[in-house]
Amino acid sequence: MQEVPSLPDSPPQAGGARFTTAGFRRGYTHAQPMAVGVFAYAVTFGLLASDAGLSVLEAMFMSALVYSGSAQVATVATVTSGAAIVAGAVTVLMLNARYVLYGAALRPWLGQASTREAYCSLYFLGDGNWILSMKAHADGEGDAAYVLGSGVAMFLPWVGGTLIGALAGGWMGNLKLLALDFLLTAFCAAMAVGLYKSRADLWPALSALAVALLANAIAPSGWTIVIAGLTGAAVAYWRHEEEVAA
Amino acid sequence: MSFRPDLLPALLALAIASFVCRAGGFWLMRFVTVTPRLKAALAAAPLAVMIGIVAPAAVRGDWPEWLGLGVIAVVMRTTRNDLIAALAGVVTVALGRAVMRMA
Repeated sequence: MQEVPSLPDSPPQAGGARFTTAGFRRGYTHAQPMAVGVFAYAVTFGLLASDAGLSVLEAMFMSALVYSGSAQVATVATVTSGAAIVAGAVTVLMLNARYVLYGAALRPWLGQASTREAYCSLYFLGDGNWILSMKAHADGEGDAAYVLGSGVAMFLPWVGGTLIGALAGGWMGNLKLLALDFLLTAFCAAMAVGLYKSRADLWPALSALAVALLANAIAPSGWTIVIAGLTGAAVAYWRHEEEVAA
Repeated sequence: MSFRPDLLPALLALAIASFVCRAGGFWLMRFVTVTPRLKAALAAAPLAVMIGIVAPAAVRGDWPEWLGLGVIAVVMRTTRNDLIAALAGVVTVALGRAVMRMA
């Protein structure tokens, strides 16, 4: 790990870029309560992946490579069928679009670390560790390795939980009887209810619903998800000023 | 433990898409400022995508699935926990289908 030369216009109190083992440890420790929830979610994903036809190893690879609950749940069928790869990738792009914001928000802090340290930390970026890191930074945490530490603390139970879930799925056999084929829909519905925060979400949501139903009636495919996502985003973009004015 | 190499293209495509999102905003901040409008659009995408997944499944389903979705909405509203809400919905659908088989 290289020392990063401090920029002439960097704030003096930052003391250059700190990216130390101690900072990593603080992040890792602070994330432990959240890691329990991540583990439980990962076990469920493992069951789902097993039901979709992925082997234990394949499910773990998916968790380690894609590392995004909602995106994995939405695209697990893409991996097994091998079809609609482009639609699957675009679905991931849209489900993880919020990470673009997260990364942008981390720039002033994480940008002080070296390029390698920063992008390595970003590989493990997730909802929980981002919120935790932003809060810690606001409370005076200056060590950018906190982001990596809290990220790794979430990543390990995610891959480990997938292993347990996929193994359990293999032993349980036919999951149709337990209605676990409904698990994907159930998770997405729950996340949708959780994502609906205020009246500003109403029109993007309604237009996404209308377009999804229409697209599904005309030609059901993986693109229904993409079309719905783009419609919701476009309506939110278009309505933004009205929402601010209201 | 098996791994089918023919799954690699799909896995890698999804992995790259995922990392592009994680690294993209950080990288873009060198050139662009995220306007509030763009921020609103990015923030709205996940909910719209979820709706795009649930709507076709709801159309395909029967009353156990519809009841399950209702239960999910209520449980999610009260507990704010997506794991509990999703499992409650799955249990509802399992029971509903058992009733359907008996009828």
